[in-house]
Amino acid sequence: MAAVRTTGEVLRHRLAVVSLVVILFVMLAPILWITATAFKPRNLATTVPPTVFFTPEVSPFVKLMVKRSQLREKPTEEQLAAAPWWERLVLEGGEKVVRSGKGAVQPSGYPSRFLNSLIVATVSTVLAVSMGTITAYGFSRFKVKGEDDWLFFILSTRMLPPVVVAIPMFLMYRAVGLNDTHLGLIILYTAFNLSFSVWLMKGFIDEIPKEYEDAALVDGYTRMQAFFKIVLPEAATGIAATAVFCFITAWNEYAFALIMTNKRAQTAPPFIPSQIGSGLPDWTVIAAGTVLFLLPVAIFTFLLRNHLLRGMSFGAIRK
Amino acid sequence: MSPRIELERVNKHFGPVHVINDVNLTVQEREFVVFLGQSGCGKTTTLRAIAGLETIDSGAIRIAGRAVQDTRPEERDIAFVFQSFALYPHLTVYENMAFPLRATRTPRDEVDRTVRRVAEVLQTSHLLKRRPSALSGGDLQRVAIGRALVRQPKAMLMDEPIGSLDAKLREEMRVELKRLHVEQGSTTIYVTHDQIEAMALADRIVVMHAGVLQQVGSPEEVYANPVNLFVAQFVGSPVMNVAEVSVTGQDGAARVTVAGAAEGFVFPAALIDRLSVAGAADKPLSLGIRPEALEITLAPQDGAIPVEAHLIEPLGSHDIVDLKMGPGFLRARTRAGLVPGPGTQVWVRADAGRAHFFDSGSGQSLGVRL
Repeated sequence: MAAVRTTGEVLRHRLAVVSLVVILFVMLAPILWITATAFKPRNLATTVPPTVFFTPEVSPFVKLMVKRSQLREKPTEEQLAAAPWWERLVLEGGEKVVRSGKGAVQPSGYPSRFLNSLIVATVSTVLAVSMGTITAYGFSRFKVKGEDDWLFFILSTRMLPPVVVAIPMFLMYRAVGLNDTHLGLIILYTAFNLSFSVWLMKGFIDEIPKEYEDAALVDGYTRMQAFFKIVLPEAATGIAATAVFCFITAWNEYAFALIMTNKRAQTAPPFIPSQIGSGLPDWTVIAAGTVLFLLPVAIFTFLLRNHLLRGMSFGAIRK
Repeated sequence: MSPRIELERVNKHFGPVHVINDVNLTVQEREFVVFLGQSGCGKTTTLRAIAGLETIDSGAIRIAGRAVQDTRPEERDIAFVFQSFALYPHLTVYENMAFPLRATRTPRDEVDRTVRRVAEVLQTSHLLKRRPSALSGGDLQRVAIGRALVRQPKAMLMDEPIGSLDAKLREEMRVELKRLHVEQGSTTIYVTHDQIEAMALADRIVVMHAGVLQQVGSPEEVYANPVNLFVAQFVGSPVMNVAEVSVTGQDGAARVTVAGAAEGFVFPAALIDRLSVAGAADKPLSLGIRPEALEITLAPQDGAIPVEAHLIEPLGSHDIVDLKMGPGFLRARTRAGLVPGPGTQVWVRADAGRAHFFDSGSGQSLGVRL
């Protein structure tokens, strides 16, 4: 800490703080808005001018989770009195909760889509990171003939905008029966993330001194054992950073999920905007679905934040 | 049981570079051998080849009589201490030291006993719970050696293990390494570029240059009888003076004159005969003489030639004085404070018994001693 600061430095420091606050607000405003919308009553969601102050309610989240159908007339007093609190919220919105013949509440499409997202993103992340780590290790530690060309070739798979291959991919997937399957999306996302994972992990593994493995080798371990006991723990930071990036990519992917899936293996991104309310899109439910959808990535990133910060500056820190 | 390590016609190339050039060497049981050379001379590569961390192009490496050049490092049962220590940052000191034992699935209580015993020997018992990042250089080095010792390996290979420590610590660790070797008695090959370390530790020194063994011998032998100019100038500090000279007979003595100097050193007349016997009569000659073999006096005396002192390095126990001789300088070792200052006129005499003569062209010693 400099003990003495000139007026110019103080001014510059304050300017920096102010501009950071402005940038932060601009970045967070959409998230703030979508979160506010998720707690609004339906009639306040699309008012002009926008409603900023309102009494928050959880009805959008209830509506998000259950299957609903429109009521033709207003719910009666008995109906309202007989319903549990969450069902009352739906009834007051002019809709009723759909139940099976035995009276069990039918869930909406959202929980299964959310689960699909979790499965697809997690499995593809694990695959992309583990395959990427092994590949990167090979490139980093052994003389591979035409190494630079291979690495360029691997990276070149990212040079095409993915959407341009969507139609051919769709046709191929239809031919082999991978349409609307978890496996199909997992393969797609793994392939998409792999090049990124290889490049990122190579950077991290290059940073791990070779002597660690040499030491393990002369100490009586095989190369495989040395890899698992030494290289993997040492590369934990890199693995965490790569995993976050891969997970975010797979989790947020929209275009392919929209084209390749429609029901069984559909992920949350294409499903959320298709939430239909009574007649018109119910923006509060869409917002509620979005807010829930944001949480896993936020939590995942938050848990790994220390690794990420170190990961972002890879190459800069010497151990 | 410490094994003998044999290298037979070992060759290795890195692309066009011949890093190990036809090396033959036998390291005896319990011997401490030091590979000495500049960086890039192939000494580390040779050591790594013995450990199995590098493959060799041709030749044989035998440990305890068994050819191991085609076996993997883990099958050779040797320990290796790295210059960078290579302690695993994610493991504690205890786990680092236990790591080699875990490879052989040693029972837990035996691992514990061994680690604690070795830690005791190396005075690192209080560090066992720490991580390497919390240790000082000297402690890191002790732990690295400890990791090598726990397995009671057949042989110890050390690659500049104290190269990254500061000077004082290096001196301490040198003594400790010597003590350890005396106690443990394992066959040891030690790589360094520091000739003082080599002299202090070695039973035998192996001087390497450009992948070729230059000389193998005891420290005294390498110091007193260097086989060529490279060894002569690499071993010893300050380095041996080497100057092109001409030898002439005069007044029943031989005059050895540094090229460009006015007067020559007086040597016994027998020098001329011996040089011609060695077949060096017409070849360009170099005189090699160590600083301590040049005797300086402040007053003229028999056989001494007058020179001017140029720079003086006071080193406490002695001074190193640069003497202007022809176009260059000769460095002499004197007692502290003998020469009062630069520019002093002094007289210098060469100790003929400690002079070396080299063929300037090939750099080989002529083997002429008086």
